[in-house]
This record gives sequence, C-alpha cells and structure tokens, in this order.
Amino acid sequence: MPVNETTLASQVFDQLQQAMVCDPAGFTELYRDYLTDAWQALRKLSEAVQQKQADEVRARAHRLKGSSQVLGAREVAQCASALEEMGRNDDVQGAGVVLEQAGRALQQVQAELSNRLGLAVVPADQTAAW
Amino acid sequence: MVATTSIRVLIADDHPVVRVGLRNMLQADSLVKVVGEARDGVEALELARKLRPDILLLDLAMPHVAGMDALREMTSGNLNTRTIVLTGLIDNRQILEALQLGARGVVLKDAVVEHLSQCIRAVMQGQYWLEGRPVQNLVQVLRDLTAQTAPQPRKTFGLTAREMEVVTLITEGCTNKDIAKQFGISEETVKRHLTNIFNKLGVGNRLELALFALNHNLLPPADGQ
Repeated sequence: MPVNETTLASQVFDQLQQAMVCDPAGFTELYRDYLTDAWQALRKLSEAVQQKQADEVRARAHRLKGSSQVLGAREVAQCASALEEMGRNDDVQGAGVVLEQAGRALQQVQAELSNRLGLAVVPADQTAAW
Repeated sequence: MVATTSIRVLIADDHPVVRVGLRNMLQADSLVKVVGEARDGVEALELARKLRPDILLLDLAMPHVAGMDALREMTSGNLNTRTIVLTGLIDNRQILEALQLGARGVVLKDAVVEHLSQCIRAVMQGQYWLEGRPVQNLVQVLRDLTAQTAPQPRKTFGLTAREMEVVTLITEGCTNKDIAKQFGISEETVKRHLTNIFNKLGVGNRLELALFALNHNLLPPADGQ
C-alpha cells in the first residue's frame, strides 16, 4: 500500500528504509522514537499554549518541525511551522486549532507507520493523554 | 574532482531523532563517513576542532552556541572544514548571513533525502549549493539576496519632504498648533500642507492619513531599526 504523500513522504520513508535495510529493527526504532518525541512535544506545546508561553511554543514547535521534516511527516511539519510562527509573533491565540490539526496529522502518521512497520512502531501510552 | 577516499562528515543538531535520521541516510552513501555527532553549538565546535571533518552539517537553531555563532567561530578558527547549513525554512536574510560567514551550502530539512548527498559532493568539489542545486555564480546570488533582504525604500507618493515630516507628526498625534510651533510656521501653512497631503493621498481626515501612512510604509524607521 502506498504511503500517503501528505502524511508521510514516500521518498523519505523509502530512502531511509533502503539506507537501513540491514537494520530493520533500528529503522522501526527510529520512527518509534520520532512518534514518542512528537507526542510528547504536542503535550508540552499544549501546556505552553495554555500558559501563553510564546517563546516556549516557538522553541518546541521548531524542534518538532525539524524532526518531522527530516523523517517526512509533512503535515505535522507544516503545523509545527505554523505554531513556531505564532510563537515568534507572540500570538498563540489560534494555536489550539493548529495543535488539534497537528494531533490528527500525527495520528495519521502513526497509522501509516503501523501499516508499514507493524505495531512495534507505536509507542506505548503515548497518545493516551493527548 | 571528488576524492576516492571517504568524505568525513560531522552532524550537529540538537534533536536526537534528526541526528539518527541523517546518520542513517548518509551511511547509505558509500562515499560518506559520519565521524561524529554534536548536540549543540559548543560540542560542534569542539568536535570540529578535534575530528577535523571535511564537512560540518550544521543546524542553525541549537542551544548554548547557536548555529550562526558556531559558524562564525568555525570560519575564524582556521579549519578546513566546509559547512553546510541545515534549515527548516528559506529565510533569505539568514542564508545571506550564513554565506557571508563562510557556509558553502544550504539544505532544507525536508529536502535532505533528496539533496544532501548531492550537496556534500558539490561542496567537496568546491562549489556552493543553494535552493536544491549547485550555484554557478555566487556573486550574483549574493547580490540578489542582498537586494531581496534590503529594507524597502520609503515611499513618498509625491509628497514633499516637508509634507512627509507633517505626516510623521500627525501620526504621532500632534495638533496643527504643535506642528506649526515645531517648524516655526503658521497654522494656516500647516493647514495648507494638510490639504495638499489629503489630495495627494486621497484621504479625508487625520485618522485616514495615519492609517494610510502605517499601511504604506510612509513613516521613517523607528530609532535603532
């Protein structure tokens, strides 16, 4: 089944998988670490948005954007980019909507990865609190 | 010509997932050898001095010493390492600064799979790399970037220098009397200036004038900008 391009860039996924063909467990672990980190980032972002900590929003969103870009999670990266910009502009009023969109996008990435790599890629209890 | 020996690469990014992703991507390239990974700008500088890599892949937004400061240090540190900047988005001002500080290439993070190996090869061949391709004419690129990042000239809309000064004072909330006093002219002259300004800009009152001035870059830059 082809990877959804908006959710997960197939070129990135395929090339990384090819690069790590000798270490499939490591490949799964890389994406599991990404998902773990990304869910945690969303939770921390949510707290920062509630507390109107614009600089914290900017910094955390920037980090999430970087890892999402490198691993091909395009929609998550776009949401993170929008959150980063809001933080930079010291205006996080509309950030809740973007955060929800980011959460949905990350859920889709996780579902795609789960289809591709099996349940081992899904981090334990990472989405529960979201 | 690219050497047949490995190109030694140091990765500097504060995010472990990014570092692992980059390392694995590059390990698939038989010509590239990742010799180290740094988590921040300080570590990047230390490892660059110690390992003397051919290429430093440098994230610009890192804790402790930011990427741009690390780049400045690298350039002044008499190292032969060539730096490729990894960035999340195209910011011409930042790219211009990075190039001026000695960066040899700029790669977007969402294009690393597509471009990073090519970029590393191009830079090792002595080329510069920007916007997903080798740069043929760096001078032209620098000139274009400088033009794009230069502040926009202040528009005048046909106003005279004195009328521009009047506009500035109006937006600061000055009355006709204040303006007359400041310029040593009569209030009648101020009114005449205002009539001319209103006619030239097509506005009907002081509030509209202030909004027009703000929206059309008619005001002088604030002090310190």
